[in-house]
Amino acid sequence: MIRLEKVKTDPVETLKRHAEAIGEAVRQAIKPDRITVEYPRERRKYPECFRGFIVFDKEKCISCFRCAQICPANAIQMEYFENAYPGIDYAKCIFCHFCVDSCPTGALNTSKVHDVAFKAMEEMRLSTKQIAKLPEIVREEIQTVEYYVDRNTWKLVRKKELDSLEVPPKPVKVKERKASCIEPESCIGCRLCANVCPQNAIKVERLKATEEGGTGYILKVQTEQCTGCGLCVRQCPMQILRLEEVGE
Amino acid sequence: MIDVFQILNYFFGIFSSDMMDIPLIAPIVDYLMQIPLLNILVALILWKPFFAVVIMPGLVVLTLYLLYIVWYERKLTARVQWRVGPLEVARPIRGAIQALADGIRYFFQEAIVHREAHRPYYIQLPILAFIPVLLPILFIPAGSAVGIYTPYSIQLIVTFIALIPITIVAIGWASNSRFAYIGSVREAFMYFAYEVPFIIAVISMVFLYGSGDAYVAVEKQSAIPGALLNPIAFIVYIIAMLMATSRLPFEIPEADQEIAFGPFVEYSGILFGLVMVLAYEKLYIMTLLFTILFLGGWSGIYCPLLGDLNGPLWLFIKSIVVISILVIVRSIYARYRLDQALRIGWTSMLTLSIIALIIGGAVGVWLS
Amino acid sequence: MEEYAIDIPVEPPKELRSLFIPIPPDYVEDVYKSDDFLVLVGPQHPGSGHMRLIVRVKGDIIQEVIPDPGYVHRSMEKLAENRLYIQNIPLVERPAIMDAPNFNLGYIRAIEEALDIEVPERAKYIRTMLAELGRVGTHLYDAAILAVFMGHTTGFMYPFGLRELICEALVRVTGARFTSSFIIPGGVRRDVDDSTFKWIYDMTLAMERRLKSFERIFVKNPTVIARLKDVGVLTKEEAIKYGVVGPFLRASGVEYDVRKVEPYEVYDELAWDMPVSDAGDGYSRLLVRVNEVGQSLSVVRQCIKQMPEGRVISDQIAEKGEDIRGSFYDSLYDLVLPSGEYTTLTEGARGTIIYSIISDGESNVPYRVRIVTPGWLYLRGFMESMKGERLADLQAIYGSFGYFPPEADR
Repeated sequence: MIRLEKVKTDPVETLKRHAEAIGEAVRQAIKPDRITVEYPRERRKYPECFRGFIVFDKEKCISCFRCAQICPANAIQMEYFENAYPGIDYAKCIFCHFCVDSCPTGALNTSKVHDVAFKAMEEMRLSTKQIAKLPEIVREEIQTVEYYVDRNTWKLVRKKELDSLEVPPKPVKVKERKASCIEPESCIGCRLCANVCPQNAIKVERLKATEEGGTGYILKVQTEQCTGCGLCVRQCPMQILRLEEVGE
Repeated sequence: MIDVFQILNYFFGIFSSDMMDIPLIAPIVDYLMQIPLLNILVALILWKPFFAVVIMPGLVVLTLYLLYIVWYERKLTARVQWRVGPLEVARPIRGAIQALADGIRYFFQEAIVHREAHRPYYIQLPILAFIPVLLPILFIPAGSAVGIYTPYSIQLIVTFIALIPITIVAIGWASNSRFAYIGSVREAFMYFAYEVPFIIAVISMVFLYGSGDAYVAVEKQSAIPGALLNPIAFIVYIIAMLMATSRLPFEIPEADQEIAFGPFVEYSGILFGLVMVLAYEKLYIMTLLFTILFLGGWSGIYCPLLGDLNGPLWLFIKSIVVISILVIVRSIYARYRLDQALRIGWTSMLTLSIIALIIGGAVGVWLS
Repeated sequence: MEEYAIDIPVEPPKELRSLFIPIPPDYVEDVYKSDDFLVLVGPQHPGSGHMRLIVRVKGDIIQEVIPDPGYVHRSMEKLAENRLYIQNIPLVERPAIMDAPNFNLGYIRAIEEALDIEVPERAKYIRTMLAELGRVGTHLYDAAILAVFMGHTTGFMYPFGLRELICEALVRVTGARFTSSFIIPGGVRRDVDDSTFKWIYDMTLAMERRLKSFERIFVKNPTVIARLKDVGVLTKEEAIKYGVVGPFLRASGVEYDVRKVEPYEVYDELAWDMPVSDAGDGYSRLLVRVNEVGQSLSVVRQCIKQMPEGRVISDQIAEKGEDIRGSFYDSLYDLVLPSGEYTTLTEGARGTIIYSIISDGESNVPYRVRIVTPGWLYLRGFMESMKGERLADLQAIYGSFGYFPPEADR
């Protein structure tokens, strides 16, 4: 425990402190430790993990709605083309990137763009097509700045090259999963899973009254069509569907 | 018609009898002097009293100084603070015309007069405040150029400097706002804090030189500058100058965070531009006096090409250097409290100034 | 003494009365009659922040201060009842700008306590490092605000410049300058590589060098000492009585720090000291925090030195893979806490943060989240310490407490 003494204010100490303060100011005035980044003319180099505007890769998307459902700010709304794809409302987005971390296929990726100007609130609602590429920004900078520190100094290092704002997509280490029914005999035949499935991979057939019991419905998941989006799993009122890992 | 020419000739005679002699621009002046009517204008400009009051070290360089010091102070503060400071207005010259740009912006901005203000005074006072600022310039000699020569110039300058806070207090009163009111009261308090030590410090120098005449003062400093003759008065004068112009650490009347720019809180537009530079103008006047009292006034290396311009130029350069060094305190100190500033004024500064008075008397005897 | 009728309209119109000063009209009348003044500082005042202080002054001496907080109340506790547990993370770290890791950590620890999650060692170290970075950032922020309240612009710029290093460190670790939402139940969102750790290690050393500049020009500046010394004194007894927390309690001589008393994460494995001062005045409050910055930087260095290898996310949350990326949703979206009340104490930069989560055991949203922030806890002590000081000291005391209205109002 450090017990701090009450500060002493005798005249000698005061004069010494005056001299130190003035000395420091004069030293800075002569040789300033300047750290200003002149932003529009130069840009900070941000790391790959920077949480900036989100770029969407339509090819990888499996329309699983995970991004839209995890979003704490309700900024993602799904748009329907042949499938449902996300669009982002940047008026609401708080750049927590829960969506990016939620995406099981890596269809959402970050970028280093953090300075997009919008002219109106409506324009901030970006559609799927708009987020499929890097947002257009005016880049005025001629150099890139990086904070360099070692044990004694902290200074700005300026490089003439321009930083690429694109971040290469990182592979997602998630095993492929498919929907499967773990308790077929509990199926009540509501067909919610079949309705919600974007790939039409679930078939629900009504059986004739059987002797073995059960509810009289059978649920078939066509695994070759299933993308593992898990919509049916979340939809099932009986909670008899699971995502199960396939492959090794 | 003849009467008009006679009057003009009469004026021309007065002006041309006492003109600044500057060899550098002599050919141009000689050429212009042959042109009728224009010659009277040239003679007026170069007439020594007019030159001292209006050109240098008077109004024109005062304006230039204001444009410079506002930018320079911001730039220096930024430098100390790891920043860049004003830059975007005229980038190639590091934003040097920032103050001019701000001035133009103030000029075209709406000057709002709020309902509670004493309207006539509220509008007049920022302009009237120039009078006590410009009055001391009449008596500040710069070499051979002087507005009004009097053997009591130093005392008169101090007297007119003492008038400036009255306008500031009046501005606060005319604003009729609670922050402006507190600011005015604080200004009045600060006035009490610095005025007595300030006057005693100046009087000690008058004792030292044995005369209130600026010419005598400068002449006696030909060997040793006044700062070394009486260092205590020098220190007291600097601190009093910081207090009088509400620089940090004595920026008490204008304290942004406490009373939101104090007496000037209600001003906007060009009126704000006028009141904002008031403290800088006061600083300029006090520094001119400071240069005369402590730094050998207008004496300097004589450049024969400049002739009579040497005096004003040296006075101006010395003042600018002094101010440029002085503005660094803005980035060093925090603001004192009003009671602490008053305590400093009435204890340590008063003691120091009385010691300075004794030293002044003693050195004065030794010098004479 | 006979009473005079005052024709000052001290009563606002009846229908608007609720919008006006939250003090009884009798009090206002009493003030006018007793020759005092009511000075309303804020909420638009440059030296008040997002709150109003109703100051009763006699001449220049403050008699009483009544706070009027709530200008930035965002009903955080109510909002939290309508979101998934995981979606509350960005919400609960919003109250304090720089202190986000500590706020985040407190909330997550309550969830982990409920779900009985064992956090991997490496994640604990990273969390501790983040929390201390947040603490340094907040202390620098508060010192800057204190400086600008006293008119010391250099003292404002230096900490804000230094804070940029903290922001850069947080960017390199989490991807965001602040409000990083990096700490999740079971660990942290991403592993941090060694080059980043080395950068942060060097940063702490470089920062200590720069802090010396700041100390010379601001902390040891005679004008600063003159403004803060013996101003806003809270004695030990008063500080305990008014429930002051955090560095402000330690500045009054009470040796209490949640990190020492109930160590969480890895604080008991690291060597650090608790700065305590007996003076209890504004300057000691500044000094305690300046010393804490040094201690925190040392803790950050120790964390990096002792950083163990291993996973950063508990296998109870993400069974496979060391990274939560890709399985964030599946792992965390349907957290359901067992029914009960879970409370954690966290030592935030400005003091004790109390999180209390009440779960009904069925739904995937909390039944109730109670957040008690340090600003709210020390508001009373802050108000009491201003009694008997001068009006010009109000800003200095305000700054010395580092009171942050958004944090107190939640």
